Amino acid sequence: MSDERVSAVIADRGRVSAVIADDEPLLRAQLRTRLARVWPELAVVHEMENGRDILEVLDAHDADLFFLDIHMPGVNGLEAAKAIGSRAHVVFVTAFDQYAVEAFERGAIDYVLKPFNEERLALTVSRLKERLGSRPPELAQLVESLASRLAPRAPEHLRWIKASVGSNVRLIPVEEVLFFQSDEKYTRVVTAEAESLIRKPIRELLDELDPARFWQIHRATIVNVDYIAAVKRGLKDQAEITLREHSETLVVSRAFTHLFKQM
Amino acid sequence: MLKTYAYLLEGLTIRRVLGVTALCAVCSALLVWIFLNTYRDLLVSALSVGYTSMVLFTIAGNIRQSRVPREAMQMLAIVVGSFLGTIVAGIVKGRDIRTMFTEKLSGVTITMSLGIGVGCVVVAAYILREKHARDQARLARAEAERHQLEKNILESRLQLMQAQVEPHFLFNTLANVQHLVETDSAEAARVLDSLIHYLRAALPQMRESTTNLGRELDMARAFLEINRVRMGSRLDFSIDVPEPLKVRAFPPMMLITLVENAVKHGVDPCCECGSITIRASENAGTLRVSVEDTGEGIKPKKGGGVGLSNIRERLRALYGGAAKLVIEEKAPHGVVASIEVPTAVAPAAA
Repeated sequence: MSDERVSAVIADRGRVSAVIADDEPLLRAQLRTRLARVWPELAVVHEMENGRDILEVLDAHDADLFFLDIHMPGVNGLEAAKAIGSRAHVVFVTAFDQYAVEAFERGAIDYVLKPFNEERLALTVSRLKERLGSRPPELAQLVESLASRLAPRAPEHLRWIKASVGSNVRLIPVEEVLFFQSDEKYTRVVTAEAESLIRKPIRELLDELDPARFWQIHRATIVNVDYIAAVKRGLKDQAEITLREHSETLVVSRAFTHLFKQM
Repeated sequence: MLKTYAYLLEGLTIRRVLGVTALCAVCSALLVWIFLNTYRDLLVSALSVGYTSMVLFTIAGNIRQSRVPREAMQMLAIVVGSFLGTIVAGIVKGRDIRTMFTEKLSGVTITMSLGIGVGCVVVAAYILREKHARDQARLARAEAERHQLEKNILESRLQLMQAQVEPHFLFNTLANVQHLVETDSAEAARVLDSLIHYLRAALPQMRESTTNLGRELDMARAFLEINRVRMGSRLDFSIDVPEPLKVRAFPPMMLITLVENAVKHGVDPCCECGSITIRASENAGTLRVSVEDTGEGIKPKKGGGVGLSNIRERLRALYGGAAKLVIEEKAPHGVVASIEVPTAVAPAAA
């Protein structure tokens, strides 16, 4: 039955052709030699290191099958599968990943786990032969949900501050910054160990920093709440903040004292 | 307007008013045996002085200024309060204020002195109690901070103990070895060797508690060898460390974290080839070990600092402020991460 379908495809297009995409050269070679053993009629027409040129490859080779590694630099396997859409059948090849396997099982997506043996590959091949005559399923939605499961989109907050120190650009993880304070043309970035100047103004920083950790307490100051040691009432209606690991005190202007009102 | 200055009376609680009232009543009861005045007369004087002093004392405590110590302001409030309170007492009793400073001066002086005397004793007791409470709070805070620090150190140690080997890395490497074995490649044995070497260092059960730079370098080299085979021509690496430095003490699992970051976040996301260089140098009692990559660099919004903050915390626990981790951008692209530790001090046991 399945062989009949394959024969139909072969009759129609001359042969069944496949493309292998994996960033690791040895694993591409391994898949190719094993496919040659369990499915000698299959022609591997192209190999790719990543999914970057997937559209060109689709146009150039009109392949029936794509074996896609999920983790690839540039354009990964999931993104490539989305681009392929229903133009070809897709088999995911991936190293152990429990979440991926669950998702594959539920979505009835063809997959092979690395390292795999020939029996497992033969099973996938026989399933593929079954499906080959029919139109490839539209994977876009499944791939979308898979992608969100595999790489939960982290909130887009600033994680690193790039500050010039002499001729070098130092990268400071934001969680180490005690406070930012505008200083005429520049913004001071103060950590427990050092202090540097950046050009990004307080207003822009405020938009990009994680608001759960970084609070504006003054027109010119953003403080990392993790490092606040104490808040004291200051002159007029202001308050003063003392910090852990730093001797400087920060002024909370009247507009922001409500942040520290007792609950 | 009223609301703006309401804070001046903060702390003027019913408890405080009752306390002052009771004190006045007791003082008057004691004094009625000494003076010829009636109890009521004494009580009115005492309450006038007491309440006035109390209000001024409260205001003195709340005024926002930093030139004069709060305690001095409060003492001054008692003196002024006793003076004004005595005048208030005179007004309440319907006396002529002018006579208070002439023929009745002795009585007025006595009232004032008593007010100041009793007031000072009360205020001194109050200030002492407050100071005690403050000391207590400071102690509790210091204790809490110490606990937090201990907890942090413990946590970073635990994190260190947890397996560093990612299943994804392990299985991909095994798939490579599988292929090399099948194709009878001589490289199979070499990759397996590297893998064994790496696992021996990376699995917590196998980890040695004390280590030196040489051993950490061996582990990093094993990891890089494996990745060079896996990534083909995309990865190139070199290790430039003078032989004498290899026996220097160096905290475990820090170099490998930097190297893993260089591969995972630096070279691997790049489609083109990249190289990683490990260097070490010693200068004026400081050992500097750096991992440099020519990868895609750090995007400001990209994460991946977990390993790094762990290194920072451990450095702080081991060397106090004498060690540091610095991450810098490299032109035209790439990152240099370096750890500096003092060689003169042996790291605290951790």
